[in-house]
Amino acid sequence: MRTGPHRRRSAARRRPIIGAVAAVFVLLLVSAGCASNNGTRAGQRAAGTTAVDPDLSGSITVSAAASLTAAFGTIRDDFLAAHPDAQVTLNFGSSGALESQIETGAPADVAAFADEATMAKLAEQSLLDRPSEIFATNRLVMVAKPGNPKGIRSLADLARAGTVSLCAESAPCGRYAREILTAAGASIPESSITRGQDVRTTLGAVTEGDADAAIVYLTDARAAGSRVSTIEIPASQNLEARYPIAATGASRNPVLAQAFLAFVLGSEGQSVLRDAGFGAP
Amino acid sequence: MSPPRNPPLRTRPPVLVVGVAVVAVAFFALPLIGLMQRASWATLGHDLTTPEARAALRLSLVCSVSATALSVVFGLPLAWVLARVRFPGRPFVRALVLLPLVLPPVVGGVALLAAFSRRGIVGEHLYDWFGIQLTFTTAGAILAETFVALPFFVITVEAALRLMDRRYEDAAATLGAGRWTVFRRVTLPMIGPAVVAGAVLAWARALGEFGATITFAGNIIGKTQTLPLAVYQTLDTRPDVAIAMSVVLLTVSLIVIVSLRDRWLARP
Repeated sequence: MRTGPHRRRSAARRRPIIGAVAAVFVLLLVSAGCASNNGTRAGQRAAGTTAVDPDLSGSITVSAAASLTAAFGTIRDDFLAAHPDAQVTLNFGSSGALESQIETGAPADVAAFADEATMAKLAEQSLLDRPSEIFATNRLVMVAKPGNPKGIRSLADLARAGTVSLCAESAPCGRYAREILTAAGASIPESSITRGQDVRTTLGAVTEGDADAAIVYLTDARAAGSRVSTIEIPASQNLEARYPIAATGASRNPVLAQAFLAFVLGSEGQSVLRDAGFGAP
Repeated sequence: MSPPRNPPLRTRPPVLVVGVAVVAVAFFALPLIGLMQRASWATLGHDLTTPEARAALRLSLVCSVSATALSVVFGLPLAWVLARVRFPGRPFVRALVLLPLVLPPVVGGVALLAAFSRRGIVGEHLYDWFGIQLTFTTAGAILAETFVALPFFVITVEAALRLMDRRYEDAAATLGAGRWTVFRRVTLPMIGPAVVAGAVLAWARALGEFGATITFAGNIIGKTQTLPLAVYQTLDTRPDVAIAMSVVLLTVSLIVIVSLRDRWLARP
């Protein structure tokens, strides 16, 4: 009995907190609702252009290299417009990270990577449905702060450009950058290299942070628009990044996975990739 | 000794409650067991002496100790002001100080960028006038760690200052001690354990800092790549090294818990 009034009082005091928590949840729900509404609207917009195939249903997860973020977002929307009963979840990251996720049993029905070596690791462990196919190519460029204040013209200039953002070795863009720098005989002191986990964080160090330059894919530089100055790497020093795609052996929905794969390799997927700046396979 | 306020049950505890509690304990224990089981103990020493691991260990020590020192230097006066001085807006200031406790660290990093990057409201002038850049420097990593560690020190010490018996201070003052003497000879010894506990907590938090550091200070080997960043980066390429470094961090955390046992574990 003694605790009765006390308990009631503390419950009354707690009520505003419950209200605040409820308000936060409502806010989250509303914003989530808005996001999915946008998705549906984008889907409806694209629906006019493609034949709708209601036969495909179920859901798949597509693990795609970070450099494919924008392009695969569009491809997903177009694909869903054609297959309204299907669900496609995109999972972006560095190809290396995605590969170890799949290795440890993460659900992925389609894998789209930025280099063949990473895909080969999945193939070696018989984790693929069938051999991968190349669906796009990419090149590397240097990016600097807008206006290129450090006057970077060549790979050698990166050594005195201040802080240079490169991908970690676990990401294909990190290995590509190392190959390019080694071949050009340019060496950047390790103490001025900041490592991004994937190409988007690597680029973000220049666009959002204080890094002076980065080596990223042409497509990322293009997507960054006026937030960076792009400096081309001459063809003689550059390399061609080849992007393989495959359905995984563990896929629970191989039909939908193959349909998505065919869509990426087909004319609609390819035209989205071309628009984003990717080269033909 | 007064009887314990919360005597143990005399009846048998309900099976369901105990069962759920066991599940909760397993939830905490299993990841740690998994980590221990995956660690290759034979090569642990070798894994920890790889250049990256050594650089990360050294840097983590430097940054976390510096962040702790800064937390004590700035946190002690702050805690004293919050506990002893009445001023308008004090609840607001306290909320501000405690915010990093609940703020996602990566958001803290973004906020630090907005303030101290070369285009930040303060960082812009630091760079233009003095040529000082904090991002991508060890100083930046220390700044990020201090940002998240300071609140732990302040709440611990402020609580001690509020709870201590102020009559000892009054007595010292009536006996002619100056304010500084009272603080040094009476207050500080009385809140000493809390200062140590706050510093240990702040240090542990600084040591584990990830989000604010990688966002604000980047990920430069030997400069800003502290242990948690090194764990994250090597997990894909060299899992053994990542796990070895994780074991180090886990061991340190256990030592912290044990060293603070009087504060946490001894409670009934």
